Amino acid sequence: MHGTGPGRWPTSAASARPTRRQFAALAAASVAGSVTACGSDTRSPNTPDGVLSGDLLVWTSFTQGPRAEWMQQMARAFESAHPDVRVTIETFSWPDFYTKWTMGLAAGQVPDLSSALPTHVAELLDVDALVPLDDVIDQIGRDRFAAAALAEGEMGGANYSMPLYTHAQVMWYRTDLLDQAGLEVPSTWEELRHAAEVLTTDDVYGLSVPMGSGDMMATRFLNYYVQSAGDRLLNDDGSANLTSQAVLDGIAYWVDMYHTVSPEGSINYDVLQQATLYYEGKTAFDFNSGFQISGVQQSSPELVEYVAAAPLPRLNDNDSLYGGETSNTPMIVWEASDMQEEAKAFLRSLYQTEEYIEFLHSVPGGMLPALSDISDDPGYLDDPVLEQFADTVEVIDEAVPLGTAIGMENGPTVQASILTSQGIVERLFQDIVLTGTPVPEAAQAAEEQLNSLFEMAGVEMEH
Amino acid sequence: MSSITVNRPPAPTDPSPRRRTVTGLWRRLARADKVGVAFVLPSMVAVIGLLIYPVLSSVYYSLTDQNLLRRDHEIVWLDNFRTLITNADFWSAFGTSIRWTAGSIAGQLLLGLLLALCLDKVRRFSGLYRVLLIVPWAFPPIIIGFGWQWILDDVYGFLPNLLTALGITTENVSPLADPATVFWAVLGINIWFGAPLFMVNILAALKTIPKEQFEAALMDGANAWQQFSFITLRHIRNVIGLLVILRIIWVFNNFELLFLLTGGGPGNLTTTLPIFAYRTGWGLHQLGMASAITVLLLVFLLLMARIAFAALNYWEREDS
Repeated sequence: MHGTGPGRWPTSAASARPTRRQFAALAAASVAGSVTACGSDTRSPNTPDGVLSGDLLVWTSFTQGPRAEWMQQMARAFESAHPDVRVTIETFSWPDFYTKWTMGLAAGQVPDLSSALPTHVAELLDVDALVPLDDVIDQIGRDRFAAAALAEGEMGGANYSMPLYTHAQVMWYRTDLLDQAGLEVPSTWEELRHAAEVLTTDDVYGLSVPMGSGDMMATRFLNYYVQSAGDRLLNDDGSANLTSQAVLDGIAYWVDMYHTVSPEGSINYDVLQQATLYYEGKTAFDFNSGFQISGVQQSSPELVEYVAAAPLPRLNDNDSLYGGETSNTPMIVWEASDMQEEAKAFLRSLYQTEEYIEFLHSVPGGMLPALSDISDDPGYLDDPVLEQFADTVEVIDEAVPLGTAIGMENGPTVQASILTSQGIVERLFQDIVLTGTPVPEAAQAAEEQLNSLFEMAGVEMEH
Repeated sequence: MSSITVNRPPAPTDPSPRRRTVTGLWRRLARADKVGVAFVLPSMVAVIGLLIYPVLSSVYYSLTDQNLLRRDHEIVWLDNFRTLITNADFWSAFGTSIRWTAGSIAGQLLLGLLLALCLDKVRRFSGLYRVLLIVPWAFPPIIIGFGWQWILDDVYGFLPNLLTALGITTENVSPLADPATVFWAVLGINIWFGAPLFMVNILAALKTIPKEQFEAALMDGANAWQQFSFITLRHIRNVIGLLVILRIIWVFNNFELLFLLTGGGPGNLTTTLPIFAYRTGWGLHQLGMASAITVLLLVFLLLMARIAFAALNYWEREDS
């Protein structure tokens, strides 16, 4: 006997085909199954009684082991305190980070909480992608943060980012190489040129001049020079400045340094390739933040005792110190997040004194406290590396309040982000080096290209 | 003599030729085996979602001014294409793509053919040689990219240091930074990477050639070149043709190897169309323009594939 009861397929020829209604149900189930499988949402809605719950997605740029481990540790601690919350930390390098969030923004797939660069914040503010964090800042203590650092995420009187740590760019040198050559620590650009030329040998390059278009290193180096001359890469009206005399001199200076004291391959270098040369003792000078200490410690521990930093070179010996570049690396909460309260609570937990000091100690000297009172906290100062490099850390500490992120002298602007993310200054240098294009001509073309991008981003400028 | 006349019934003629209309499609679907359709449906959804939708989406965005940082966009029709065909960087990237593809395919084919012919003659340890020679193909592109970048680095690199140590160069060269050598360096790496695929497939085709044909040719007095061109090449040309078509598409679309090795630089010296599209889309955020580049890329590759398939069909007809 043939049956069509539950669990049985019809087997007679007449009943082998399902009815139109059965077919429609089957088709709907297939499609629904596929769609559900592709787009299942594991988030649970917040409970109405204010208990934090759901899946919190955090993106960070903390690729180094100790910092990444600290974030994981903080996530587990937060989960213990809030059993209904699951925290997922995803880590990307800075260049990947930029690609990831621009794509994510277009697709509506952004995290709840993330780290960012100040220039990213400027761009994100421009598209209303962030939520104000004034409530979190006030809970932690607004006066504990440097006003300049908070200003980098300020728009319309509200603060949209919170600095997690800070650092500044300084000049790094090798004491042993300078001593052997009988040279003083250079304090001007010309002294640096001379010292780098003297120290360039078969084994060591005086200084690497990085120009890779996948990073912003050439912009960074040019910015040092331009700042030392009291000029800026962005004019007050928001347009690009690559053609003032100070900028042209800066371009010519670095092109000349590339030809005389730098490895040829540095035309393609990014930040890591550049830093690795110094870590491994292949360059006598470099420019970087305090991350240089841990880099040398890991790569060439035998060189650590010869590592030291000085303020960025000036145009003239009697010029005052200036801030070449200060980075207040912030945390942000995304507008598209439906876990904003959980994100803010997790963010607050990162600033608990003991845990925060542990974070800073994961790269001692590399990350300086964003909270002013922590700088003098005995718990923070009690670290062998910070003790060994006290003078160096002091140099960085002094540079921090003098500078801003590149192009952020007038606060967060989308131009600062474009200036540092499009590789236009890098390609300007490559153009001069590879094709011999005269400096003013290449600079003019790059300036026009930047201004055109600014306009495309909706910036109105007076030309 | 009698003749037989066969009166064939006139061929039925359809007064109204069948037209493919949407209504007709729905009617055919309604008549189709519904259980069969139900089983095929998930796969169709997957194909539409993963293949057809992205292509249609690219075509649509190529007609818009979509920016990655904006949710809204306007239809600009062919403006993106007009901008592209007057853009010197686009044509530079297109030229680099052509040189990169042609050089890579020619090099991979010649090296792969040479290796296959050699291996075909090897009697001892041929399996071991095959495995060793296919190793480059087994490497993931990220290993190849960073590995060669490291080997060719002018500070740490094995090769520049070796050349200097042997006195061949007076100072360490930087093949990936020197404008005179960068293109040839990346081309060489791609040939090294892709030749094993040609080698393995050509070797398999070589094994199918009947030995009697060579013996007969020898008896007819054919020399080595005549044996190669009239017997060997004729047997393997279809395999080569298919490989060339596939590799043209893969190499022309290749992004990761070049991007990992040079990032398209220095300058624009190794910027191919996929890298140009990436920079336009993810760097400049101009998704509409980047989509237009990919649409042009698709059209060009379809055209190339059409020409290559026509050649293949011609050979097949000739063979049969």
